[in-house]
Amino acid sequence: MDTMETLNGIFREVFDDPSIILKRETTADDIDEWDSLSHINLVIAVETKFNIRFALGELQTLKNVGEMVDLIEKKIRK
Amino acid sequence: MEDRLICNNQFNIGHICTRQQCEQGRGDKVAMRWISPAMERTDYTFSDLDAESSRFANVLQALGYAAGDVFFTFLPKMPEQFFAFLGALKLRVVAGTLFSNFGEEALLDRLGDSQARGVITKKSFVKKIANVRDRLPGLRHIIVVDIDEHQSGDVLSYRQLMRDASSDFTAPLTTPDTPSVLHYTSGSTGKPKGVQHVHRSVLHQNQTAREVLCLAEDEIYWCTADQGWVTGTSYGIIGPWSLGVTQVHFGGGYNAEHWFTLLEQEQVTIWYTAPTALRMLLREDPALFGRFDLARLKHIFSVGEPLNPEVIHWSRRTLGREIYDTWFQTETGGIMISNRPGLEVRPGSMGKPVTGIEAAIIADDGSTMPDKEQGNLCAKPGWPSMFVTYLNNDEVYRQKFRGGYYFSGDTAYRDADGYFWFLGRSDDVINTAGHLISPFEIESALLEIPEVAESGVIGAPDDLLFEKVVAFVTLHSQFSYSRELELKIRLHVTNKLSSIATPQEIVFTDVIPKNKSGKIMRRVLKARYLGTDAGDISTLEI
Repeated sequence: MDTMETLNGIFREVFDDPSIILKRETTADDIDEWDSLSHINLVIAVETKFNIRFALGELQTLKNVGEMVDLIEKKIRK
Repeated sequence: MEDRLICNNQFNIGHICTRQQCEQGRGDKVAMRWISPAMERTDYTFSDLDAESSRFANVLQALGYAAGDVFFTFLPKMPEQFFAFLGALKLRVVAGTLFSNFGEEALLDRLGDSQARGVITKKSFVKKIANVRDRLPGLRHIIVVDIDEHQSGDVLSYRQLMRDASSDFTAPLTTPDTPSVLHYTSGSTGKPKGVQHVHRSVLHQNQTAREVLCLAEDEIYWCTADQGWVTGTSYGIIGPWSLGVTQVHFGGGYNAEHWFTLLEQEQVTIWYTAPTALRMLLREDPALFGRFDLARLKHIFSVGEPLNPEVIHWSRRTLGREIYDTWFQTETGGIMISNRPGLEVRPGSMGKPVTGIEAAIIADDGSTMPDKEQGNLCAKPGWPSMFVTYLNNDEVYRQKFRGGYYFSGDTAYRDADGYFWFLGRSDDVINTAGHLISPFEIESALLEIPEVAESGVIGAPDDLLFEKVVAFVTLHSQFSYSRELELKIRLHVTNKLSSIATPQEIVFTDVIPKNKSGKIMRRVLKARYLGTDAGDISTLEI
């Protein structure tokens, strides 16, 4: 399973919406439930599932899901 | 026709905000400049607003709705929400609004208690309602805005319904005492309570929009509040549109770049927002603000939680504007105490009571407190937007009134010059980012998780949110902490209640302090968390 696929599963679980289909261009505006508070759930879920850690503020600069995938893959490679 | 608010004794809010504006010559004026999350703009005139809300009133009437029935919107900010809300009011149907991030338990409590007949929502939210549908026998219709055809006899397409409905509807003469808007609010115990307002509220909402927010014919106004909360209906719909003011409504979330682009491009003159958003802006790179021309922006107002002086000083320094903090509650329906242009701002103060409001600081024994002494923040009943009951809970409603005063549940003091200063809550209710959250609701949701044995929830000071939700949990002996369990707990609360109710911090502990009758001693939990003195713990059992 590639990173995008795994991430899609995480999004569906976190936002309780099995219809979510992520694209690289997907942003918080495309998912109704994705607000600054549920974002914390997403961060914890991504960290737990991929066994990585994000630094404070590291995710705030990301523009879309594609950049999140790139960051996750960079951390996995380390 | 002259610009009177109440014509021919017609108090109907839906009528006043739409048809009446057309009758007063504003039919072609932009009522709503809708900006989608992708920053695309669509204008709706007052004629459009009248036609679409009338169409929706006809839809509800054709479905058998009548005066007093309860209908909810459960949508993110989008044009259909405004049409449905105003259309329901035109028909004298009680219009409730639900915050779009509510989970299924939060929906069940509100739809169930109010015995709502219908709800308008979007496809991705239908599942949440479907999960509790069997416990909502009174719910007849789920109207879905983004499906083209009806799915069944009770899951209906908004588009199909609206296609077949007439855009002509004349609101029946509506008395001031007719039930209008319904919002649910949290208490420290029990389920959320339905705060019922009546059409008379438009008097106060109109007056304060004019006198406090300075809304007038040529202003361009933007209220960032979600329509799920009282600010979003009182000052994101009723106050401004009853004055014929053009409103900007933005479907996107917080984004400093987008927000300042909007302020500049749409030439917003009056902006009503929240302290948490302002504190988030304060954390942005100051260079960002220099890129935007805000010459048209006259005033910034804030509501939801106390505005810290730091934010006021930041705004003076960075934006060259004063921020005027205002105070009201779901129960008051409109602004009660405020800072406002023409009144010297004392940073950190709530300001002074608005016209027609008699506020006082009252001791628990009913006596009036002298200046500078802490007590219960109260108001003399009788202002037009005062709630008329808690739905199905008149006893608790009556308990809010003692000795001729409404007790707000907030504590404050008044200084020698008549300014009020907020101090805190007199109960355990948590104010996080301007939303009141019941610790009881969160504790109940936590106990549904098989691993959790006991729970206690408090609000703790937070630099951004004013208060954050902190949950203490004990686990059954066969379980232990893991990151997966923490995630499970968080997701459970989010999906059952909402993201705002989700604990910012979860403390796994061996014991939850309770008194001899088993009541959770949140005061002790809070003192432990903050490292302060817990006070009298003589009744502590564990």
